[in-house]
Amino acid sequence: MLKPIFALIDCNNFFVSCERIFRPDLNTKPVVVLSSNDGCVVARSNESKALGIPMGAPAFQFRDTFKRQNITQFSANFELYGNISKRITQILTEVTPRIEVYSVDESFLDLSELPVTDYKAWAQHVRQRIWREVGVPVSIGIASSKTLAKLGTELAKKQPELNGVFNFLGLGKPEWDDALQHTPLKDIWGVGRQLAPKLRAEGLSTALHVAQLSPRHAQQLMGIHGRQLVSELNGTSCHALEKQAVAAKSILRSRTFGEDTNQTYVLEAAIASLAAPAAYRLRNEHLLAHRVGVFANTNRHKPGYRRWVRAAKLDMPTNDTGLIITLLVDKLNEFVSAGQMYHRLGVYLYDFVPVGALQTDLLGYVQPNLADKAAARMAAIDRINQRLGNGTIYYAAADLSKTWQPKHSIRSPRYVSNWSELPVVHVK
Amino acid sequence: MNNDSRQTDGVSVHSGFPNPAADKTLANLDLHQLLVQRPASTFLFRIAGNHWHEIGIFDGDIAVIDRALSPHANDIVAWWNETHGEFELSHFKTVPEGGEVFGVVTATVHQFVRGRAQEGNGATGSASPHQTNTQNHKR
Repeated sequence: MLKPIFALIDCNNFFVSCERIFRPDLNTKPVVVLSSNDGCVVARSNESKALGIPMGAPAFQFRDTFKRQNITQFSANFELYGNISKRITQILTEVTPRIEVYSVDESFLDLSELPVTDYKAWAQHVRQRIWREVGVPVSIGIASSKTLAKLGTELAKKQPELNGVFNFLGLGKPEWDDALQHTPLKDIWGVGRQLAPKLRAEGLSTALHVAQLSPRHAQQLMGIHGRQLVSELNGTSCHALEKQAVAAKSILRSRTFGEDTNQTYVLEAAIASLAAPAAYRLRNEHLLAHRVGVFANTNRHKPGYRRWVRAAKLDMPTNDTGLIITLLVDKLNEFVSAGQMYHRLGVYLYDFVPVGALQTDLLGYVQPNLADKAAARMAAIDRINQRLGNGTIYYAAADLSKTWQPKHSIRSPRYVSNWSELPVVHVK
Repeated sequence: MNNDSRQTDGVSVHSGFPNPAADKTLANLDLHQLLVQRPASTFLFRIAGNHWHEIGIFDGDIAVIDRALSPHANDIVAWWNETHGEFELSHFKTVPEGGEVFGVVTATVHQFVRGRAQEGNGATGSASPHQTNTQNHKR
């Protein structure tokens, strides 16, 4: 059997990078992206990180800092991010069909069967290609396990001299140990905020410490997951690319938060990152979803367990990442409340039709290419509203009365999904 | 319904609606397929300014811009004009040094009739193919 080789392609500060595609003037300037409703920071440029803006920073507390430091703010433009994510996925799919879209800005590739000899050069080529063709900078980690590949991208981001690529393959023991030693616990894939304190209590503080645990001790500390973690950190793969099961009837992705949260930006970010692989899988199977939904629940082991489910039916089925995220974020906002601590969130897509089997609508809507999107969405929303009452689903930009709307005024144009908001090029 | 539409996944020019009553085996030519060779790297821009009307580029036209192509001297490119803080259209050979090229303009779309869709089938924002004049700029 071939020794597995994985690459993780991770987009740098993805939401910020998407905004910069059409705003090259911001390339070296501090930028933050805020969640669409409650104004928390969901993405930061390196310059903003350097200025000490923390992830999740509430905008109202940092407004003065933003102003003083000339930090450009954007409201999340998920239609744009979903579209850019899809373009990158498309390019990666041309590199190899063996891809697992892990989230809106991360994909694993299985390179075992690719005729590559120089993996660093290969990775630089992929990086250059995505930068040139889409305009998004990415970091790439290459290793014989997914955990190490992920760790590689973190190292690549921290050390500019690596030019965005870290390759574990062929690394000598000293360099290998050095890499793990420079990786704090929080950068290890699968070590969440719950596990980290437990490991710290054992005197472990870096990935190297974890890698040097005996499998048995690791299992005592972290269960079977710990045994696998040690093995993955030492270069033996325990996790293959996630297989895409045959002909799905529904697709569900969910995530338990490291810590219960009442932060809407965390929930929105979870939707964005869960919906992207779900939509990718739909496209991969040439399916369109008629219905999409979002659910969340509190911790069932704590008193006052509650669960919320909201679904939307689209008259025009879709497999478009940006559209699905936008709809689900709107649905989330119907029930989300700052007084609740959410434990888990999931998105699901169901009621599928194959692309091509559909020829019923007057608009002849067969494939959600972007040209159709604006019209199709408005029509779908209008019809849902007609059926269920106005305001069931609303178009964020169309609703000027909602309290969070002002934040939308700093949303960038829908450059790639609305004919009236295309970027402008001047003729002199 | 044709399978080609799959290849257009991800990008934009749209050209009229298929007639649902039409013979299903009859695949319509897809303008998007003609204009957008590489959906992943193609972006649409709106043109502002009439100074290039002599070569058939008008205010309000749509520019189809592909980032994957290496620009040749006579290609029309969109580049970022740092001084003015805006994208500008130029022949590649006249882009000043340091001007960052966004991509090569592969086509522009000029619509003679716009915003009268309500007279037709109720669709908005799209023109039928016979209302669209497409100009392919050869590289």
